[in-house]
Amino acid sequence: MHSDPIRCLILACGNTLREDDGIGPHLAQWAAERWRSDSRIRVISRHQWTPDLAVDIAAAHSVIFLDCSIDAVPGQVDLQPVQPAAPQFALATHHSSAPALLALARDLYDAAPQTALLLTIGASSLELGEVLSGTAEAALPRATALLQSTVDNLLNTPEALR
Amino acid sequence: MSQTITIDPVTRLEGHGKVTIHLDEQGQVSDAHFHVTQVRGFERFAEGRPFYEMPSLMARICGICPVSHLIASAKACEAIMSIRIPHTAAQLRRMLNLAQMVQSHALSFFHLSSPDLLLGLDSDPAQRHIFGVAAARPELGRAGIALRRFGQHIIELLGNKRIHPGWVIPGGVTEPLAAAKRDEILAMIPEAYSNIKIALNWYKQIADSFQAEIEVFANFPSLFMGLINEDESIEFTDGALRIIDAKGAIIEDGITAARFTELIGEAVEPYSYTKFAYYKPLGYPQGSYRVGPLARLNIAQTMGTPLADIELKQFKLIALGPVHSSFHYHHARLIDILYGIEKIEQILTDPLILDKHVRATAGVNRLEGAGQAEAPRGTLMHNYKVDENGLITWANLVIATGQNNNAMNRGVLQAARHYIKDGKFTEGILNRVEAVVRTFDPCLSCSSHAFGQMPLHIALVSPAGEVLDTVTR
Repeated sequence: MHSDPIRCLILACGNTLREDDGIGPHLAQWAAERWRSDSRIRVISRHQWTPDLAVDIAAAHSVIFLDCSIDAVPGQVDLQPVQPAAPQFALATHHSSAPALLALARDLYDAAPQTALLLTIGASSLELGEVLSGTAEAALPRATALLQSTVDNLLNTPEALR
Repeated sequence: MSQTITIDPVTRLEGHGKVTIHLDEQGQVSDAHFHVTQVRGFERFAEGRPFYEMPSLMARICGICPVSHLIASAKACEAIMSIRIPHTAAQLRRMLNLAQMVQSHALSFFHLSSPDLLLGLDSDPAQRHIFGVAAARPELGRAGIALRRFGQHIIELLGNKRIHPGWVIPGGVTEPLAAAKRDEILAMIPEAYSNIKIALNWYKQIADSFQAEIEVFANFPSLFMGLINEDESIEFTDGALRIIDAKGAIIEDGITAARFTELIGEAVEPYSYTKFAYYKPLGYPQGSYRVGPLARLNIAQTMGTPLADIELKQFKLIALGPVHSSFHYHHARLIDILYGIEKIEQILTDPLILDKHVRATAGVNRLEGAGQAEAPRGTLMHNYKVDENGLITWANLVIATGQNNNAMNRGVLQAARHYIKDGKFTEGILNRVEAVVRTFDPCLSCSSHAFGQMPLHIALVSPAGEVLDTVTR
């Protein structure tokens, strides 16, 4: 298991069988290729974010969550900071949100990434299908460019250079 | 006026289920049912496929216990091929199955049930989840997550994927174990021991405070069934099935997969898509039985590993004969985990574990084959018929949840009758009814997953359809 500190953890979720729900995994695949030989970066892609990922978050200096957004305008690329927050409902079992995972890392491992960001693309369609919608596809270059620049910035912060 | 209380969906289960509680004119519970509301059509999907595809197809049934389906399916295929697999392959499969049991049990105990056990069945449902456990007892949360990752990482090392691994094929496994992987798993063993010790010690301290629930959580005499070895030790992957009666007497032993359908029948009820398995000589429903951790410990005389044997001896002090209350599934699940860790360690020290001969080959030598294994939640059986070209013409799967179905329904009725009086109920009471089902850790829809947050809505409805009361969370 990975226990060495990771400079940047990229954590995606989504289902590639549900069109734009696969945005996270698509971006993760790009990231895995882009930084394949860079041991400072780790990419994890899952259908769902589950509580066990708190271990990986606790071992990372920074984390970038990748997902689609059903609230944003389709095709809109957003990058927002994420703060830890425990879920306020009873059914937190099979799926966890980015704030909940951060809270779990804090509560269980007394750990908090210095930077936690959520990068999303607004979903256009979540129907059955293995390809992204045209709208999401068109947004991918902007999302990957933003991911690239964000990772570059995180790797070049004084903390990351230690 | 008769009324019905509906709990839909039942929360913290694998899959989606529903409970209905029927009240009579006086507001007393007259009946209760646990419904599985999704159709399973996997047997039909398999028809026409080459038999050798079946393990990888059947593994897709479930994201929690794909390994059990892999193994039962491969064994059914090997019966069609009329072969015995190499010793090393059998050991490697056993380790894979145990790793899956550990991770699945960790999910059940820590993620699904420990919120009730630690925070209380009447605690605020908004906090009654694994995050609440993490905040209240971090060491328990860490142990649960670590044990789940322990099992999942072994599965990933052996099968290359945490979920839906390959590797197990008809005839054995695709590749031998590398020394580096063996050493990596061995290095994880001490921490796993430490974590299950935390859980077992904690559970044994708090179990007595649930005496009231123990009395009414599916607490009744029944048959029990599970795999066992010839030396009377517990078994998950090979061995043969044993059935004991409510007093512990062996009524069937040495049941091979080929004899499964001779002894086990399946009934249907109009309110559920899950079948109801029963022991044929007693008929349905008298022949209903329980499987899973509680059944395994009830039928076994020894675990076959030293630390788990100590725990088994303590467990058997709970009752003079078989332990009847399904509340004790929780305890049995933890002993299963301890056994799994010990057995994995034993397997890895087998002098032949790195042997390169891990696969036998053959074509179609029989037109029917069956395979059985212990899934985390109980016995699993796959039975296939093929044509001369090896294409599947018929398939039947008997899953653990179906074998516990009658007991779950009886348990829901028992708890509902105990707790609901004069038509009055609280969220805590309904959580207890749900918790009865959780003790069995049923896997209802396996490959289906929730979309969104699964709200719980309970409605009290009159015969005329008037909603008399609701509880929503």
